[in-house]
Amino acid sequence: MKQLKEIARAQKKQMYLLYVLALSIGVIVIGQTYFIVSIVDGVFLKSANMSDVLPSIVGLLMVLLARALFTYLNGRIGMKMASKAKLQFRQKLLSKYTKNPIQASLKGQSGEKVSIMMDAVDEVDSYYSKYYPQMIQTSVVPLIILGTAFYLNWVSGLIMIVTAPFIPIFMIIIGGATQKKSEAQLEKLAAFSGRFLDILQGLTTLKFFGRAKDKQEVIRQSSLQYRDATMDVLKVAFLSSLALEFISMLSIGLIALEVGLRLVVYQHLNFYTAFFVLILAPEFYNSLKELGSAFHAGRGSMGAAKKIIEELEMEEQPVIWGDKILNGGAQPPTIRLENIQFQYGETGFSLQNVSAEISPFAQIAIVGKSGSGKSTLLQVISGLLQPSRGRVNINGSDLLEYKESSWMDQLSYISQDPYLFSGTIRENISIGVKGETSQIELEAAAEKAGIASMIQELEHGYDTTIGEGGRGLSGGEKQRMAIARAFLKKPSVILFDEPTVGLDLQTEKILQESIYELSQSSTVITVAHRLHTIKNSDSILFISNGELVAQGTHDELTNSNSDYRDMVSLQRGDVG
Amino acid sequence: MKDLRLVIKLMMAEKKDVLLSILFGYLAGTAAVALFANSGYLISKAAVNPPLYILTVSIALLKLFSFTRALSKYGERFYSHRATFTKLSNLRVHFFEKLEPLAPRIFNRYRSGDLLSRIVGDVESLQNFFLRVYYPPIVMVIVFLSTIVFTSFFSVPIALILVFGLILTGFVVPLWFAMKQRGIQHQLREVRGALSTEVTEYHYGFRDLKLHQKLDSQEEQLLKASQSYVNEQEKYGLQAIYSQSINQTLSLMISWLILTIGALFVVEGQLDGVFLAMLVMISLTVFENSTPMASFPNHFEDSRRAAGRLFSVVDQKENESTLSPGNADNEDGELGALNVDQAWSLEVKNLSFGFPDEPRLALKNVSLKIPAGTKTAIVGPSGSGKSTLLYLLLKAYPEFRGDIILNGKSTHQLKAENIWEGTNVVLQSNHFFYGTIRENLLLASDDLSDGQLKKALEAVKLEDFSLDDPVLEKGENLSGGEKQRLAIARAMLKASHLWLLDEPTSSVDSLTEQFIYDQLFMEDEDTFVLISHRLKGLEKMDQIIVMENGGIVETGTFDELMRKRGYFYEMKQIEASIL
Repeated sequence: MKQLKEIARAQKKQMYLLYVLALSIGVIVIGQTYFIVSIVDGVFLKSANMSDVLPSIVGLLMVLLARALFTYLNGRIGMKMASKAKLQFRQKLLSKYTKNPIQASLKGQSGEKVSIMMDAVDEVDSYYSKYYPQMIQTSVVPLIILGTAFYLNWVSGLIMIVTAPFIPIFMIIIGGATQKKSEAQLEKLAAFSGRFLDILQGLTTLKFFGRAKDKQEVIRQSSLQYRDATMDVLKVAFLSSLALEFISMLSIGLIALEVGLRLVVYQHLNFYTAFFVLILAPEFYNSLKELGSAFHAGRGSMGAAKKIIEELEMEEQPVIWGDKILNGGAQPPTIRLENIQFQYGETGFSLQNVSAEISPFAQIAIVGKSGSGKSTLLQVISGLLQPSRGRVNINGSDLLEYKESSWMDQLSYISQDPYLFSGTIRENISIGVKGETSQIELEAAAEKAGIASMIQELEHGYDTTIGEGGRGLSGGEKQRMAIARAFLKKPSVILFDEPTVGLDLQTEKILQESIYELSQSSTVITVAHRLHTIKNSDSILFISNGELVAQGTHDELTNSNSDYRDMVSLQRGDVG
Repeated sequence: MKDLRLVIKLMMAEKKDVLLSILFGYLAGTAAVALFANSGYLISKAAVNPPLYILTVSIALLKLFSFTRALSKYGERFYSHRATFTKLSNLRVHFFEKLEPLAPRIFNRYRSGDLLSRIVGDVESLQNFFLRVYYPPIVMVIVFLSTIVFTSFFSVPIALILVFGLILTGFVVPLWFAMKQRGIQHQLREVRGALSTEVTEYHYGFRDLKLHQKLDSQEEQLLKASQSYVNEQEKYGLQAIYSQSINQTLSLMISWLILTIGALFVVEGQLDGVFLAMLVMISLTVFENSTPMASFPNHFEDSRRAAGRLFSVVDQKENESTLSPGNADNEDGELGALNVDQAWSLEVKNLSFGFPDEPRLALKNVSLKIPAGTKTAIVGPSGSGKSTLLYLLLKAYPEFRGDIILNGKSTHQLKAENIWEGTNVVLQSNHFFYGTIRENLLLASDDLSDGQLKKALEAVKLEDFSLDDPVLEKGENLSGGEKQRLAIARAMLKASHLWLLDEPTSSVDSLTEQFIYDQLFMEDEDTFVLISHRLKGLEKMDQIIVMENGGIVETGTFDELMRKRGYFYEMKQIEASIL
């Protein structure tokens, strides 16, 4: 994987250090062997005294300690590189996501994105902590051993050089075969392994049908089938290890045989050299084999990295804001929609030529069938979406010439499903407000939104923590939390996406009253689903198939537009 | 540990594979030691011009050990993995046996999806228990012991050093690190959780964060959490490398000690020099068996946690309600049974109920009466307690205050199985299993003919479905409406006489909905309880119960409620005014 390697290479200092360490470890392996052989040779054949071999014994101690230390350092550097890479990936993903326009977050892949940021990034770890340091070691250490072997006894060196390639070749051949085999089995495996979860998830259904006990056997059978399918794949992998083991064992055996024969029969070698080569040989093959297992670990990382990089390379058009300051002033800004056009993707749904003037303190209802583009229009007005043509004009300037925060500070957007963050109720209500909020202000806002009494009933009151996504609150309570946010923020423009289903009566009443009260001090633009809201608005934007087809008050539209009349009267006919 | 013992017990059911894994593991370990011992001996012997037959025998042995080593390793891997997967199968079955009686009670809390995937994941992660925790230490110990016995023939002190090395690298160091690792692992899980929360909030709350201009601060928090998570991971990883290095250092030191002492003995004439190389090779090789022990702490800790969590799920006693168990089942008393061939009446008296971990009561003092053979609708906004009431009727939560009476008998006196047998339940989300339409319908009863199944499909306007059509897990190849209709068909086939329907047609178009209800209500001897969010088509119901906030607001027929101009009337007005 090119990108992973580039990131590793970018950490130059660490990379060089790894090479230096690999080189040192190579030298240490030689040194270790040298000392061991010297000692054995000394006392065994040369009848040396302890004092003669003492320097070697001390030397061996040093070298062994150094080997452990360097192996540790090697792992440590890999670990540090992994940390850095993971941080970088998360940072890059985040800055990419932050720039994303809102439609990217609407594609409903939040779960996928969470898993990329958490799991995929974590999986990158083993490339740096295992594979990369091992790769550098394998590219250095065997070479040093090989060189030494050639220097001491070229025949052993030759055997190494001839047998060594079999290890990677076998790894590649068998690795490919395993992969093919496991891909063929994958579907089967997934089906078996999913069965247990499937049955657990259906346990309630099974119980109500009195069938739970029957499923025990199904679980056993599918587990055993899973086992057999997995073993089929594993067998290939184990056979490959067997082959590798054979290759390295036979090669070591070959070398042992060779030095043995040359030592005894031909007397080409002395004990010193023979023993030296004999200890070096396993080090040589082990180092090659270790790359195999590291490679296995690295392969998972590569898949994960591919996912991350695809995500990073996805093109999105960010909304670009200017830095003009929008002054709050005594009255809300004048909003003019000028020929607004918007399209999702190349061929997606589009909004066409919407023009309207919204004066300060106006109450505007956007009305239309579901899927007609009402919510899209609301998002364009909010600045979450950038129109592909035309513009939202605020007080005479394009909305996007303003500084993002200076517009958002004057805006409240109450969606159908407001998101509540994990934190206390206090934090959640005051989220839109800069600086400290007093308890009195907070309670006043909650009171107006009709949740004060509910909050007071809770043991910890405003300091009650509400969970991820505001679990534990009903739909109506969430709506009221959002209203409380607006009361506290006192925005000059309110965008309101009215719920499409009925809430409890209390919330319904509060919504009506609150919006009325908020409209006294701000412009309110509502995607309206309730007749009450529609009738009370100053002007209605009637949208059909992404186009603004009519504009006016309820009475005007009822008289002038038959589609509008049909839509509204269809509902009315149903009452009572 | 108690939980792991249970896992071991389940594992030992596969005695043959377990023993074979240990046997082959042992062969592989000793063969490697023998191989290197032999080559050390071979070389040394060769140096002193021995008779040729000794060399020939040694070389033959060399080959033998090589093959034994490689083949045994294969055998070890094969049998240990097969044992592991068989064990997982036993574990799943065992766990299912334990879990089955607890359903549906433990599932009906939010995040039950998490609970289930955690269970599946925990079972899965226990596969490392046998592979990495249970049998490697056994193999290690016997390989060491054999080696030590062998070594003692040449030099007892060197054998003792090996014993010392085994204790140190095989037990003391791993256990010591296992203890240290525990704290770090706990910390790691905490910071991972923190980061996961930040990431989730960031993505799911993206729009609200942007609107409130909080993206920057959320981003900052997220990066901070990411930093501390990565730091903690690093700490954890470094600790692991450290533990490995210490283990490696110690085993190298032991080899060093053996070499030094061996050399001393040779010099002093206590040991024949021809064995020195062999002993050194033995010591260098035998410690390869204790290297895997370095990762033992992590796997042990993981397995312990997984087993603990798994069994904590099934060990949960019934102390789950926030209400005192005023009148839970009288366990000793005989539980009676109702006749399932007749339609039951239903009565609820002063029922209060709260979910565990939630401060507010879900149902407050609810009383209602549903005569046998009548049709009742329960309506109200989301969160008003309608579905909870239904689950209580089904005895899914045995603990509540008040009483529920089916056909004159308190549910405390009835077996849950008996209640389920007498009811046709359609929940808001119904499960469909991997298989075919036929298999999923046959859940209702085994002795149904294809003709009957087809008729049921027609009654819910699914006549286009073939009985052999595949159904994927959770019915994910079916639309929401199709699943609802299939669930109704399945309930129809069950043909019991009390119907409990929770928003059964919320994703079905109104024409089909009407058709289905006409089919259902043909069984006019049956008792129907229909929970509904929408207020359409309730004119035919004998009784409408309006709920809000866990309590009943009003009760009556459609006409009565409309005339009363109360809560129901207002809800109806609002629904009618929604475009």
